[in-house]
Amino acid sequence: MRITSRLVTPFIQVYGIYVILHGHLSPGGGFSGGAIFGASLILIALSFNLEAGVKQISHQTASILESGGVLGFLLTGLVAIIFGGNYLANQAAGFPIGQAGELFSAGAILIITVFVGIKVASTIVTLFYNIIEGEK
Amino acid sequence: MGFADHFPALIVIVLFFAAFFSPLLFRWAEKFSAPFVTAALAAALVMTVTLLVKVQQTGTVLYHMGGWPPPWGIEFKADPLRLYILLIVISVSLWIFVYAVGDLKHELKKEVIGWYYTLYALLVGSMAGMALTNDLFNLFVLMEICAISACAIISIKEDRECFEASFKYLILSAMGTGCFLLGVAMLYMATGYLNYSLLQVELAEALTLYPRNIFAAAALFIVAFGIKAALFPLHVWLPDAHASAPSSSSAMLSGLVIKIYAFTLFLIFYQVFPRELLEIVPLNEIILWLASLGTMFGSIYAMLQTDLKKMLAYSSIGQIGYIFMGIGFNQDLALVGSFYHIMVHAVTKAMLFMVAGVIIYSTGVRQIKDLAGIGRVLPITMLAFTIGSASMIGIPGTGGLISKWYLALGALEIGRPFFVLVILASSLLNAIYYMPIVVNAFMHQEDFKFKAKPVPRFMLVSLVIGMIFIVISGIFSKPVITLLEKSITVLF
Repeated sequence: MRITSRLVTPFIQVYGIYVILHGHLSPGGGFSGGAIFGASLILIALSFNLEAGVKQISHQTASILESGGVLGFLLTGLVAIIFGGNYLANQAAGFPIGQAGELFSAGAILIITVFVGIKVASTIVTLFYNIIEGEK
Repeated sequence: MGFADHFPALIVIVLFFAAFFSPLLFRWAEKFSAPFVTAALAAALVMTVTLLVKVQQTGTVLYHMGGWPPPWGIEFKADPLRLYILLIVISVSLWIFVYAVGDLKHELKKEVIGWYYTLYALLVGSMAGMALTNDLFNLFVLMEICAISACAIISIKEDRECFEASFKYLILSAMGTGCFLLGVAMLYMATGYLNYSLLQVELAEALTLYPRNIFAAAALFIVAFGIKAALFPLHVWLPDAHASAPSSSSAMLSGLVIKIYAFTLFLIFYQVFPRELLEIVPLNEIILWLASLGTMFGSIYAMLQTDLKKMLAYSSIGQIGYIFMGIGFNQDLALVGSFYHIMVHAVTKAMLFMVAGVIIYSTGVRQIKDLAGIGRVLPITMLAFTIGSASMIGIPGTGGLISKWYLALGALEIGRPFFVLVILASSLLNAIYYMPIVVNAFMHQEDFKFKAKPVPRFMLVSLVIGMIFIVISGIFSKPVITLLEKSITVLF
């Protein structure tokens, strides 16, 4: 169990990051990628023990990231207002759009999916910690 | 575009920003946390007022998220009626928040207070969004946020009763949102739009093509908002939820959350459904009868209660009946009455729950029979209770009279004097359960049996603000009534 999870975890995490970053090109995005990434952290805590999981990402860090993810999303929207578009405006606010199909394209959407990914991954971890600690 | 053009979106965003920033502040700089949320609410209030002034001068403001016009993007709409509701939501929640900051220290564990601010700001933000949005799916998302944060501010007290009550609320309101989503799907199936204004145009045509879809959607909406707003037979979750929550949450839930759903149903009736639908199916008639039953039974149940907060919660079921009556009459004067009642009842019921909170904080008493003689120990608190109950009954000089007066005028206008009797009878029923408490509090022979702690000054200040507002709303009702009449007659 431990060996398998030690082997598998980096792949899961890379896959999670891939799904987040490719959100605007292929199915997936912040939510699914974040869930995959968060699951990998839970896997560590499950297969070793809670302490090993906490060493990766502590409860405090997770809940700070959780707020940070949403704030990042909201601020990205506000940036659009500062640059003269409507709230959450993308091209109109001057985000670089790039070539369709390339990784760094679609302007604000990429930034937003990253924040959503952070939010979802940390939320899943926080939820898990809360449930585990609630039983003590 | 100037900065002020973004106010419709910014009102909601400021509140959501406060929601997620306050736990960080609570962790690192605890004493700035509450002032920060207060500042966010105040900023939202200032923006709402500015927007209201602007809308009255230049007409309705539309705001497209991300610059995408409907049917692609989400549209926010700011017309006088929505801003009126938004103003009530934000000012009342600012007022309750000032009270809550002090009261929560006694009612909650210290570590969860930061999260309480989060939930509170989320709740206000989602209600502000519900008042502004012009898109059914966006409305659904905001309803979910509102329902979940409302459940959480009940269960945050972490005792058995609260868990049970909020679980019941969670299940029932999930059924409500389920019904709503199904209804939205039906309308989308028939028309392909989610935007209110586009739907209204398109539905008039679709009504002949897909009548069943639209009838089903109408039925589902009535059930969904009936559950959410505690319309009479669907009210079962309300008493437990509102009675067991911390007092500031009860004030919030009873004062604002149920009303915002009544308002949304109103919007759907008058800004989504075409006039023909209301003529073919007696939707208004159904709502009218349920509302009338609600006003009677809410009061009758309230009479049977022995717990003060339970009684106030049942009284809310009766009062929400008046608000629905306006929709039921389908007549402009009655609607003016019910919109006025949204404001009056939001303030009055929030204040009465604050009174209950003060009584519980100071003496620990919850039972109505133990309140005898309390007026001599807590005079200002019980004076607030007296004025609040006067407004609930509709005694001249309080805001409650004005709303009932306009409802009764509306009933006479469409030639249904029977409902004037219903309004009168339910007012009498209100008097039957509010008056004995007042009389007992001040006139009881023996002294109050329990020890009373002194009440902190900010709690009393909140109560005094409420009292002053209720009296003012009873005497100087003209400007608000004019605003409402102007914006409601447009719909007919």
